[in-house]
Amino acid sequence: MTLETLLQVAAGGLLMGLIYALVAAGLSLIFGLMDVVNFAHGELMMLAMYAVFVIWDATGLDPLWQLPVVAGLLFLTGMAIYRGLIARALSVPFNRGMVQIFVTFGLAIFIRGAAQFVWGGEFRAVNHTWLSDRSLNLGGVFLPLPQLAASAVCLAAFAGLLAISRTEFGRALEATREDRDAVALIGIDRDRIFAMGWGLGAGAVGIAGVMLAGFYYVGPNVGASFALIAYVTVALGGFGSMAGALVAGVLIGEVEAFTAVVLEPSLKQIGVFAVYLLVLMFRPRGLFGKL
Amino acid sequence: MDRRQFIIGAGMLAASTTAARAADEVVIGVVYPLTGNGAAVGLDAKAAYEVAAEIINGTHAPIGVAMGKGGGLDRLGGAKIKLVFADSQNDPQKARAEAERLITQEKAVAIVGSYTSATGATISQVTERYEVPYISADNSSPSLNQRGLKWFFRTGPHDEMFTKGMFDFLADVAKKTGKPAKSVALFYEDSIFGTDSSNVQRKLAAAAGITVAADIRYRASSPSLSTEAQKLKAANADVLLPSSYTSDAILILKAMNEIGYKPKAVLAQAAGFQESAFMQGAGALAEGVMSRSSFALDADKLRPAIPVVNGLYKAHNNKDMNDNTSREITALLTLADAINRAGSAKPDAIRAALVATDIPGSQTIMPWAGVKFDETGQNTLCNPVIQQVFDGVYKTVWPFDLAAKDVVWNVGG
Amino acid sequence: MDNFILARRRRELMVAGALLVVAVVVPRFIADVTTLNVIILSLLFAGLAQAWNILGGYCGQISLGHALYFGIGAYVSTLLYVHAGLPPSAGIFLGGVVGGIAALLVGWPCFRLSGHYYAIATVVVGEIGYLLFLNWDYVGGATGVYIPIAKPSLLNLQFGKDKLPYLYLVLAFAAATWIAAWLIEGSRWGYAWRAVKDDVVAARSLGVNIFSSKMAAAAISGFFTGLGGAIYGLYVGYIDPDSVMAGHFSILIALPAVLGGVGTLWGPILGAALLIPVKELSSSYLGGSGRGVDLMLYGAMIVVVALAQPQGLVLLFRRRAHGPA
Repeated sequence: MTLETLLQVAAGGLLMGLIYALVAAGLSLIFGLMDVVNFAHGELMMLAMYAVFVIWDATGLDPLWQLPVVAGLLFLTGMAIYRGLIARALSVPFNRGMVQIFVTFGLAIFIRGAAQFVWGGEFRAVNHTWLSDRSLNLGGVFLPLPQLAASAVCLAAFAGLLAISRTEFGRALEATREDRDAVALIGIDRDRIFAMGWGLGAGAVGIAGVMLAGFYYVGPNVGASFALIAYVTVALGGFGSMAGALVAGVLIGEVEAFTAVVLEPSLKQIGVFAVYLLVLMFRPRGLFGKL
Repeated sequence: MDRRQFIIGAGMLAASTTAARAADEVVIGVVYPLTGNGAAVGLDAKAAYEVAAEIINGTHAPIGVAMGKGGGLDRLGGAKIKLVFADSQNDPQKARAEAERLITQEKAVAIVGSYTSATGATISQVTERYEVPYISADNSSPSLNQRGLKWFFRTGPHDEMFTKGMFDFLADVAKKTGKPAKSVALFYEDSIFGTDSSNVQRKLAAAAGITVAADIRYRASSPSLSTEAQKLKAANADVLLPSSYTSDAILILKAMNEIGYKPKAVLAQAAGFQESAFMQGAGALAEGVMSRSSFALDADKLRPAIPVVNGLYKAHNNKDMNDNTSREITALLTLADAINRAGSAKPDAIRAALVATDIPGSQTIMPWAGVKFDETGQNTLCNPVIQQVFDGVYKTVWPFDLAAKDVVWNVGG
Repeated sequence: MDNFILARRRRELMVAGALLVVAVVVPRFIADVTTLNVIILSLLFAGLAQAWNILGGYCGQISLGHALYFGIGAYVSTLLYVHAGLPPSAGIFLGGVVGGIAALLVGWPCFRLSGHYYAIATVVVGEIGYLLFLNWDYVGGATGVYIPIAKPSLLNLQFGKDKLPYLYLVLAFAAATWIAAWLIEGSRWGYAWRAVKDDVVAARSLGVNIFSSKMAAAAISGFFTGLGGAIYGLYVGYIDPDSVMAGHFSILIALPAVLGGVGTLWGPILGAALLIPVKELSSSYLGGSGRGVDLMLYGAMIVVVALAQPQGLVLLFRRRAHGPA
């Protein structure tokens, strides 16, 4: 293998890894806040991608301009899901862990059915954007602009999440995470914090969906292929850890890319899964998880 | 739970197909994935069968295809074909159960299906047990008709016939242009379709003395195909032979373009490459892509019925007929023709008539020599064509006597 | 106290016996294959969910990777039949044994993980198994394996068009899993497992060996899941990784237990009796529209039941029997 090929594969893995990290960030945030794994996370991303397609189809507005709109829509969707379902799932007296798994799982199936009801089963794609089908050529190593933009937005989103954690709201978030019951005593509305957390988590995956729509097809089942990787990313990085999601995302992107080179491409996810299991043997709570 | 109570309880009266049915209807069960993965293709298939039923049953000017004069099955007193659709969800268990339901409850006298080979496998086992014909319109796995089944009939080609067509084309084009393809790259998904297709391609490439420069099995519906594209670029074969469904077909073209690679020639095993969603999704990248097809929309001089049937289909589903939908229409017309010749809706009479089927190519919408089944139930006259994308539309380029356009061949020098 | 428990256990056995008689007699008067098919699948999943319940409910290890043992059972039994001519009536038990061994092999590294880490790890292990089978040519790879149509016989466990023998086969399977769960509930194991589920620290201080408790539960759970998978393969007549190992089977195996009531004897049965008919009939009668309405109905039902009856549907019956808790 030439050096050029090696660099190209590494670059591809990095760009994809940052997208995995962005998809996983929202999942990790929600989990860290309230111990809930959202099994409808991929479906939220799918909704964001459809939103981009619908707006683009109707107005021709470039996905990049849609970023704030769609992220906002997803923020509201996330809050609504929390208020409508998750708050209830958290207040059940028994089997809380299992109820939340299957409530979000049922929601995922429902959203998939609803997407097919509204948009049909066709694959769709957003074309002719500013960035589409263009690449940066760095001495024979090609960096596709849509993915490059997605990576930049990913890093910006992580910086944004970091900035939020420094604000008063962020401190309230942190306090709620540390001790859910005590925060009520110091006048923090736990329910409101949780709803905001869901809004942020959904907004983050909404951003991922917008960027992805610039170079990936949209269909009712598109969430599923990303969701599995997202769960593995979060567990590998450590549930609730933002830094963990970022590092794990990139690691997974690279392992996937190089497994496809060394073994067969059809086995590339096995490489990812094997690395994940191996890490868990030594760090049962992931790379950055609190032991 | 009482099923009928359940239906009423859930407010599904509209779907209750068990209601009393007029005696002059012949019920045919149609099994396709209508939800989940594959739903897009299944929904197009549904539209295609509805159009075919309209051709058979409706009142219209005669169309130059088998059963094209309309008005129902004349030898059964003008009985109408009634289609009952069932959702397989691409699950072999579901497909099996639905075929069984269609035969026993809906009293279907034949089953038509079913897109994926795994569902075709279980449906054909049910029809064998219940002794009703199964007409496979678009299952392309060669293994299906090689199991000694008595009730299995396939109107369309299987992957070996398709692939043979592709290699015949490579030989012909080498002769015509003097620029033979010396190497191919195999790129196929990890499904029964991809496996079957690549196995035949490997065999035929060896027989034709063509090097296999890359042999890449990839994970279907992957989030990314960039490493796969990199491998193809490194191999840089004369002809890329992809066997992919729609989403991956779009993705691999984008991924190759992103790393600045344009294969000299792409010759696809149809599937995703023949879907209208592919054309929309791949946009300009689809330009020049070649694909085998069992259908040629532009062969209207040879087959005057094509524009008429396509008009009906377009009015119904807002898109042109393609490789799949044309085969589906042909399957139902062939079956209706057999039922009509049988003069009876009894399965063994229909089977006997199917065995005796001999529809000339001119009485179909296909560029085939005709429809005639061998002892395994395979139509032997369904030779494929090769098409190439010009300005976002597939045009037939081979066989050369059918060609609407001259092939653009960038291989060799 | 002991007498009360003994009386309850005797009552449970009597109810089960009565249900068994109903399940043997009633289907004899049903001719309609769709109804029989729905009953067969409901019984099969009642048994599978009970098998899951032994590990997930009694022992508290929420596995989302049971499709692996299900698929292994189906493959072992089918391949032994196709390649070695071993009659399926023996092969299904070997399928179960290999399923149990697989569960032990998975449990060994995974049981040190807790909560969501364990759940995600089981998803991943299941997915690895699926991908390996998909790429493994000896087991048919993506092409899958046909189970040849043979003369109907008990030895071959093939009965042609006749549905009743299949129904009794899965009924026996469901009954066996129920009896296993019933025996476990009354045994030292059962107490130890529930202790592991409720409070690991307390269990350890009571001298319960946590790890071997989990391993024992995994072996039994894996055995029955593999057995169920082998029976399913025979019933469908064709297996490939997508139809017996795909991840959604893991959910489908766990779901009846969760909706019916985890860690209870009747939960998996009740859950399967609701879930499977709704799933099968909605896709039969609504799926034909191709609009995804069946998925919406199925998803909404899971959400509503999980929220409305977090302890499972069994509670509806318990309240009636004992008044408000």
